[in-house]
Amino acid sequence: MTVTVERDARVVGKDHGSRPSRRPRTSYALFLLPGILAFLAVVVLPFVMNTYVSFTDWQGVGSPTWSGLANYRELMDDSEFWASFRHSLFMVVAMAAVPTVIGLVLAAALFDYVGKHFGSRVAAVLRACFYLPQVLPIAVAGIVWSWILAPDNGSLNALLNAVGLGSWQQDWLGDPDIALYSVMGVMVWVQIGFPLVVFMAGLQRVDPQLYEAAELDGAGWWRRFWHITLPQIRPETYVVLTWCSIAALKVFGAVYVLTKGGPGGATNVPSYFSFTTFFEKTQVGYGAAISTVLTVIILALSLVGLKLQTRAEDAEEGARA
Amino acid sequence: MLTARRRVVATAVVLTGSLLLASCGDSDSGSSDGKTLRLWHYEAPNSAMGVAWAEAIKEFEATHPGVQVKFEEKSFEQIQKTAQMALNSSDAPDILEYNKGNATAGLLSKQGLLTDLTAAATKRGWDKKLSAGVRTTSVYDANGVMGSGKWYGVPNYAEYTMVFYNKALFAKYKIAEPKTFGELTAAMDTFVKNGVTPLANSGGEYIAQQYVYQLALSKADRSWVDAYELYKGKTDFHDAAWTYAADTFADWVKKGYIGKNTSGATAEQAGVSFLQGKAPILFSGSWWYGRFQDEAKFDWGTTLWPDSNLTLGSGGNLWVVPKNAKNKDLAYDFIDITMSKKIQNLLGNKGGVPVAADASAITDAKSKELIANFNTLSGRDGLAFYPDWPVAGFYDVLVSETQKLITGSEKPDAYLDALQKAYDKGAPKQ
Repeated sequence: MTVTVERDARVVGKDHGSRPSRRPRTSYALFLLPGILAFLAVVVLPFVMNTYVSFTDWQGVGSPTWSGLANYRELMDDSEFWASFRHSLFMVVAMAAVPTVIGLVLAAALFDYVGKHFGSRVAAVLRACFYLPQVLPIAVAGIVWSWILAPDNGSLNALLNAVGLGSWQQDWLGDPDIALYSVMGVMVWVQIGFPLVVFMAGLQRVDPQLYEAAELDGAGWWRRFWHITLPQIRPETYVVLTWCSIAALKVFGAVYVLTKGGPGGATNVPSYFSFTTFFEKTQVGYGAAISTVLTVIILALSLVGLKLQTRAEDAEEGARA
Repeated sequence: MLTARRRVVATAVVLTGSLLLASCGDSDSGSSDGKTLRLWHYEAPNSAMGVAWAEAIKEFEATHPGVQVKFEEKSFEQIQKTAQMALNSSDAPDILEYNKGNATAGLLSKQGLLTDLTAAATKRGWDKKLSAGVRTTSVYDANGVMGSGKWYGVPNYAEYTMVFYNKALFAKYKIAEPKTFGELTAAMDTFVKNGVTPLANSGGEYIAQQYVYQLALSKADRSWVDAYELYKGKTDFHDAAWTYAADTFADWVKKGYIGKNTSGATAEQAGVSFLQGKAPILFSGSWWYGRFQDEAKFDWGTTLWPDSNLTLGSGGNLWVVPKNAKNKDLAYDFIDITMSKKIQNLLGNKGGVPVAADASAITDAKSKELIANFNTLSGRDGLAFYPDWPVAGFYDVLVSETQKLITGSEKPDAYLDALQKAYDKGAPKQ
């Protein structure tokens, strides 16, 4: 408090013109300080240390031996890493693209149809149901899904058998041709709630007059969705896509619980690959190189996402002006 | 009086310092006053070892008045993955249970994280109580290779693999207990003809790779094992033993002895399929014995793998004393108690394989059979360790590659190539 008063007195004494006061900015900086310091200590410092370790040959204890770019050179030729990275792209489809599309359609349906015909309370209950997987710890959800997808006595195979589709039964998590798609299916289920909630919040701020005008002009649901809903909630769409893509690149828990990267590496992803390299193979330097590359990719993706979002917002403001 | 800018800087310095200190973990390193024994282990409370170690703690407290045992129950995974960090800090316990082998205890000893127990082992007579086969995993050389060098751990029990079979199902299909390898495969053929998958298996965990290793061992001898596990010679994964193992395993999948749908199964699922009477045969370790005694609702028996002198097995997990332990003498006293007749006999009667029990004190019939089979195996120098020991991270490679063999996505030749590559990369250079 003293700080603010001192600054106030100084700035007021000097500020004679109409220039906006610097007081709020400097005062707010103090409030941001703990966050900045925590970020430095918890994110930046470990990242710098991790990057240093990635240039060494180290088993986790003792003195690391400087090895320069050796780990990165090895990484470039490591087919296991590239396979895990390809699986990551599949996870982006499962955790970002598909949930965004489904979330968008469901949000519009809940907002436009369920909310209007059955009341906002029903829509809220359904929204909560879709969001439930986001609340469940992934370890719990993963174990439950591993029961459902078990080859012998799993409920999915039992269900298929019961409805006369016994020939469709599969070893969902044990067949290398299917396992990745099974994990993707589980992740779609886990993720849908997040875009749904964000989009429903976004729909609240769309001016109802736009819909009314379109309806008067004879536009059906699909045209209103395409020409009004989608453009109006574009900022939310960018946020959801960026956020979910990052989550997909980092995915670990589901793979750990459901398949441990198997069978035969069919569901391995970079974060799990890094984990096993660190803790199973005790190749800490190499594991650090994997996680450094992953971090750089995620950072780049985030920056691209933010840039696209800013550009779209600027274009939108320009069009309004 | 501090200016605002200086206050901000001072606050920043204090906060940064606090956060950095916090990120370094707490510094409660335990006392070194000889009044506390900090002990970690990961045995389930109802397992033979869990019961025996709980009794040993009681015994320790009774014989050490004024000394408190601070026991922390850990999981196997937890200790496996974090031991290096914990043992390298001032938070290391005084004694802990740790996995044996080159890639685990050997690695820690090489890194200087474990106390050399050679003097204590000689002085307290542990060296006399352990047979040569069991002792192999206690000693490690300067490179962390087991079998020779200094003492870094003490096992109080042993373990080995065997064929568990469901006598009721064998009787149902009129199949005699297999005494030879030919009889075993004939029995499996009969089960397949009757629509029963004979072998319980888990491709997602250790059981599948142990089938492969056992098949290789049936065509191997001690020098083959020494080359593979102790690097006393070259290991060629395309030799007769490994080739036979990979070909036979793949063939067994084709013949239906092993279910293709077990590639992602866990060891627990394999054990449960045996317990539920779905799979009539399980080849696995003595660690299942006590549980089957408790839970199986049918008559079951065991036999060593037919027509093989060697099988998987070793001394059990080790008691190790971290280099940074504060109360090493108390830790040695605890090991002494776990080696006492009282605790060893208890372990034997609860379904474990004791290393220094009084034979006449083992009263349970099944436990007697377990120990008798171990003595047969030990007497012929038949403990051949485990396939994942030679190289750090080899367990994951074996799981992943054997899964491919189960699903048919890789041929035996490519499977052996992959094992060779990973082994050569991790094993010490010859």
